[in-house]
Amino acid sequence: MQDKTIMITIDEQGHSTLDLEGFAGRSCEKVFDDFRGGDRLSIERKKPAYYTGEQVQQEKSQR
Amino acid sequence: MSKYGVSITELREEKYLLDALREMGYRPEVHHEAVPMNSYYSEQEAKQAHIIIRRHELRGAYGDIGFVRQPDGRLTLIADELDAYRGYGERWLGHVQQLYKEKQTLAMARARGYILKKREVIQTREGQQVRLQFAVRR
Repeated sequence: MQDKTIMITIDEQGHSTLDLEGFAGRSCEKVFDDFRGGDRLSIERKKPAYYTGEQVQQEKSQR
Repeated sequence: MSKYGVSITELREEKYLLDALREMGYRPEVHHEAVPMNSYYSEQEAKQAHIIIRRHELRGAYGDIGFVRQPDGRLTLIADELDAYRGYGERWLGHVQQLYKEKQTLAMARARGYILKKREVIQTREGQQVRLQFAVRR
């Protein structure tokens, strides 16, 4: 299983870039919101792993 | 990678803003009610702020620099326009935001049980970047 890591890069122009690895679905959203804080989002991209993990979680809950 | 985002730092929490300004060497005044700021033009209507750095602490500045609490909770910069050309413009504010965001992130992570694995300072053409890596407690 892939490790869950959070990388935040804070620049001198008042921007921060948040990069989550190994998360999926709702847990991804929670961590993302924790680190975003009250900041205004200018770019948001979900990666394939986000959906793959969510699908697996849904399949498990249907059993 | 499962999610990626870029956000613009908004100054909302007084504590981290004060910590950032103190780290930059200032002794900011804090006022529950906004108080007048000194300006280069004495005939100008006095601007008011809740957090103020007096101009004697700001090398080369014409006026005080302040932060005003807005109705939506944000703390926004208020300064003489002339001082943007004296080293207290967007770049100065960006540095304040950078220190603020790092302090806020570290405090939030500690409180919610994330583990800080690494802190790096990277020099780029656009200036310094602070990179923090966290892991989730199992």
